[in-house]
Amino acid sequence: MRLRWPFVSSHRKQELQEEIEAHLQMSVADHVAAGESEDFARQSSLREFGSVPLIQDVAYETWGWTRLDHFSHDFRYAIRQLRRSPGFALSAISTLALGIGACVAIFSVAEAVLLRPLPYPKYQRIVRIWEQAPDGHRINVADPNFDDFRAANTTFSNMAEYNWATTSILGGNEPIRANVAAVSRGFFPTLRVQPFLGRGFIPQEQHFGASPAAVVSFGYWKQHLGSAEDLFKLHLTIEGTIYSVVGVMPEGYDFPEKAAVWIPRELEPELTSRTAHNYHAIGRIRDGVTVAQARANLDTIARRIRARYGSNVDLSDAAVVPLSEAMVGNVRPALLTLLGAVGLLLLVACTNVAGLLVARTSARRKELALRSALGSSRRRLAQQLLVEGLVLSFSAGGLGLLLGAVGIRLLPATLPANLPRQQGIAVNFSVLLFSLVLTALVAVSLGLFAALRAGGNDLLGSLTASARSHTGTQAGQRLRRGLVSIEIAITLVTLMGAGLLARSFLQLVSTSPGFSQKDLMVVQFSLPTTPQTGGPGSASVTRQVHEIDTLLDRLRAIPGIANLGLTGALPVAGGDDLSDGIFIILDGHKPPTNFDEFGRMIENHSPTGEALYAIADQGYFQTLGIPLLHGRMFGEADGPNSTNVALISQTLARERWPHQSPIGQILEFGNMDGNLNPITVVGVVGDVRAQGLNAPPSPVIYVDYRQRGMDLNSSPSILLRATLPASSIIPAARSAFHQEVPNAPVAFSTFADEMGGWMADRRFLLFLVGSFAVITLIIAAVGIYGVVAYFVSRRTQEIGIRMAIGADRGDVLRLVLKEGVQMTALGILTGLFVSIFAARFLKSMLFGISAYDPMTFCAVSGLLFLVALTASYFPARRAMLVDPMTALRYE
Amino acid sequence: MNTKNQYRNRIELLQGTLDMLILRALQWGPQHGYGIVQSLRTQSGDVLQVETGSLYPALHRLERQGWVRSDWKLTESKQRARYYRITPSGKKQLAFDLSRWERIVAAIGAIMHGSPEGGEA
Repeated sequence: MRLRWPFVSSHRKQELQEEIEAHLQMSVADHVAAGESEDFARQSSLREFGSVPLIQDVAYETWGWTRLDHFSHDFRYAIRQLRRSPGFALSAISTLALGIGACVAIFSVAEAVLLRPLPYPKYQRIVRIWEQAPDGHRINVADPNFDDFRAANTTFSNMAEYNWATTSILGGNEPIRANVAAVSRGFFPTLRVQPFLGRGFIPQEQHFGASPAAVVSFGYWKQHLGSAEDLFKLHLTIEGTIYSVVGVMPEGYDFPEKAAVWIPRELEPELTSRTAHNYHAIGRIRDGVTVAQARANLDTIARRIRARYGSNVDLSDAAVVPLSEAMVGNVRPALLTLLGAVGLLLLVACTNVAGLLVARTSARRKELALRSALGSSRRRLAQQLLVEGLVLSFSAGGLGLLLGAVGIRLLPATLPANLPRQQGIAVNFSVLLFSLVLTALVAVSLGLFAALRAGGNDLLGSLTASARSHTGTQAGQRLRRGLVSIEIAITLVTLMGAGLLARSFLQLVSTSPGFSQKDLMVVQFSLPTTPQTGGPGSASVTRQVHEIDTLLDRLRAIPGIANLGLTGALPVAGGDDLSDGIFIILDGHKPPTNFDEFGRMIENHSPTGEALYAIADQGYFQTLGIPLLHGRMFGEADGPNSTNVALISQTLARERWPHQSPIGQILEFGNMDGNLNPITVVGVVGDVRAQGLNAPPSPVIYVDYRQRGMDLNSSPSILLRATLPASSIIPAARSAFHQEVPNAPVAFSTFADEMGGWMADRRFLLFLVGSFAVITLIIAAVGIYGVVAYFVSRRTQEIGIRMAIGADRGDVLRLVLKEGVQMTALGILTGLFVSIFAARFLKSMLFGISAYDPMTFCAVSGLLFLVALTASYFPARRAMLVDPMTALRYE
Repeated sequence: MNTKNQYRNRIELLQGTLDMLILRALQWGPQHGYGIVQSLRTQSGDVLQVETGSLYPALHRLERQGWVRSDWKLTESKQRARYYRITPSGKKQLAFDLSRWERIVAAIGAIMHGSPEGGEA
C-alpha cells in the first residue's frame, strides 16, 4: 500500500491522515457524550466512517499533482489488465508489431536511399546538369555546349563532365570487367573529395596527349592491388592504354556508382559536335546562389546557343537538379509506393486494434462504471485507457522494431541491383527515431480513441446492465462494423495496387522481345584491343576481327552449341547499352570526308533519320531467330575492304521509307563509331524490343562487325543456343577463351538471368507490395471474423428464439452472413472510390494496362469479397449449429 | 428502459447535490468535515447521512476547483482540525447549483404531479 502513491507528497498524506483522525476523534467524543462506552464509541465511529484506505485513495486522486502517481499506477494496472486477457494482448500487439515492423523496414530503405545526405561537403550545392530539349526532355551534354556553360556561367564554383563504360581492366591480380569513369577537370573539386592515398589529377595529366594517369577506388585497390602503399609501381591497362596509378579514393566514395577506376576525360579529344551528347555533367553552385538561380543562369546561356545555332542543336534550355534528387529519380516512385503500402498496412492494423479495443471497452463497461461511481473523474478514466493504449503500442513498437531489423537483414537479397545507395541501409538513429515517433503516434491515436469511446459511454447504464445484455453495446458493435468497413476499404486500395503491378508484370513477362529466349545463353566479355577509332580496313579492326573469329570458331566446335552470334550490346536486357543517333540519307550525295562536313550536311537539311546503332554478325540473327524480311543477310563477301553493309529493322523501314524499298539506300552513320565510310542497306529484318520489353520495337541499324569492328562503346556479347545443359558447355567455352584471349574477362549467364536482372526492380516492387497486400488482407480478414463472431455471441439468445419459432439453419446462416456482407460491401464500395484516385500514383510503374484496369478492379473486389465471406462463414456455421434450448438459457 | 432512467436520475442528483449541500453548509461559516456531516444531518431532520467516503473526496475536489479553502485550526475542545471555508467563486457556484436544482425539482414535480403516464416509476 505504501508504494501505491509514491508521488503524492508525504505532507499531503499526513494532513489527510490527521484530518481523518480528527474526524474520528470528534465522532467518538459525540458518541461518548451520548452515553456510549469509549470502546463502543470508537467502533461505531469507524463503522460510520467507512473504509479509510478507500477514502484515502479517492482523495489522493483529486489532487492535481498526483498525475505521475497515476501514471505509474495506471501503468501497472494496464499491464495487469493485459495479462488478464492474453488473447487480446497477443493479437493486438502482434498486429501492431507487424504494421510497425513493415514500416520500419521500408523506412530504413527510404532513409538510406532518399533521405540520407550525400557524403560530400555541402552536398546540397552539388547538382546534375542537362541540356533540355524544347519538349522538356533532358539530354546529356555535348562538349561545346558544356564548354559554353562552364565558361559563361556566374553561378557555379565548379563544373565537370564525366561518363563511364564497363570495360576490362588489366594490371591487378586478375583481369576484371568493371566501370571506368572518364572525368573532366573540376570533377573531384566539384564533389570536394580528396584521394585518401596519393593525389588527384594534375593539369599536366588533363590535356589531350598527356601521359595517362588513373585514380582507383578503395575497393579495387584493396581487392586487386593488394592495398599496396607504393602507388608509383602500379600500372593498369585499359583498352590497350597503360595508366599509372596516382591515387586511391577513400572508402565509401562511390560516384559515378560502381566505378573502379577514374581517368582524365581530356585524354580523349574534344568533340566539336553540339549534338553529340556523350557526357553527364555535374556542378557545384556558389554559396548563396539557389538552384533556381543557377538554372536561370544556364538557361540564358542555353538560349544564346539556341539563338546562334538554331535547330542544329537539341537544347533550348538547361535542366539543373540537386544531385541527391537526380541519383534517385527513378526509384523514388517505387519507394514512395512501398511506403504507401506499409502505411496502409499499419493503418489497417491500427483500425483492427481499434476494433478490438471497442469490443474490450464494451466488456469492461462494468469495471469502468464502478470506478467512475467511486469518484474517478472522466479525465482520470480516459488517462487510464490512454496508458493502456501506450503500453500496448510500445510493446508492439519494440517488437515491431525487432521485426523491422530482421526485415532489413533479409531485404538485401531482394533489393534490385540498380537501387542506388543501398549499402547504407541500416537501423540507425533516424530509423530509431522514426520507430519511436511512429509508435507514439499509434499509441496516442489508439489511446485517444479508447478514451473518447469510454468518455461517451453511458456509464451508469452499464453498471446495471447485465454483461450479456444488448443495451449500450449496439453503438459499440456499430462502430466496430464501421471500423471493419474502413479496414476493407484500405485493404482494397492496397490489393488494387498489388493487382495492377502484378498485371503489369505479367503483361511484361508475356511480351515477346521479338525472339525466343528459351535455352539462350549469354557470354559477356571484353577484348583487350579495341580500336579507338575505326576506318576502312584499319589494321586494328582486322586484328580484332581475326581474334574474335578465331574465338567464335573455337566455340562453334564445342559439342552442344547449336548456334551462336555476336553483338555489340545485349538486346532488351542490356538495352541501355545501345546508343541512338541521327544518320544522313545520302541520296546520291557524296559522303562527308570529316565531321565538320558531316555537321554542315545536317545543318543544310539533308534527309536524316534516327535509329539505334547495333553491331552484329550473321550468326546473331540465326541464333535469335530474327527473320530476314527483304533483301539479303550479311555474307562472307562483306569483308573489311568491300562496301559496308547494313540491315535495318522493320520499324525503321516502315517509319523512314513507308512507300519505297529501303534496300540500296546509302546512309552515313559515322557519328556513332567515328568511321565515315557510308553504309548500304542490303536487307530488312524483323523487329526486336531492343530497348526493353516495356518499350515499343525500336528502329535499329545493324552493321557487320567484320567491317566496322567493336568500338569503345560496345559491350561485346556472344549469344548461343545450346542443346546440352549449360554446365557441360561452360567449362569448354571458358577454356576456349582462356587459350585464345587470355586477358579477356568473361562472364557466362543465361538470357533468362539477364532478363531477370532487367526486371529485378519491378519484381522487387511487386514482391513487396504483394506481400504487404497479403498481410493487410489477413489482418482485415481477422477483423471481419472478430466482428461477426462477436455478433453471433451477442445474439445467441436471439438466434435460439428464432430457431425455436421455426427459423431453419439457412435463415440463421443468412442472418449472420448478412452482417459480414454488409460491412464488406460498404468497404469495397468506399475502397473502389478511393482507388480511382490512388491508382493515378501508380501510373508511371504500370505497363500494358490502364491505371483503371477493369479486370484488376473486378478481380480484387471479388477476392476481397470471397475472403470476407469465408471469414464470416466460420462464426455463421457456429450460429447455425446452435441448440435452441441451450441458446434460450444463454445469459 | 425505465429502470435505467430511474437509476441515472438518482445517482446524478446525488452526485451534483453533494457539492451543493457542502457549499450551502459552509455558507454559515468555516467548518470541518465532521461538522459538515453533523450540520447536514441535523438540518435535514436526520434524513441525510452523508457518507464520509464521498465527503472527503468531494471536499478535496471543491478545493481544487477553488470553491473552498482550508486552514488548520483548533476546535472548541482543543482538537486540531481542518476547517473549510467557501470562496467567492464557490458562492457563485452555489447560486448556479441552486438554480439548477430548483429547475430540476420543478421539472420532476411537474412530472410527478402532472400527467399520469410519466408517473409510472
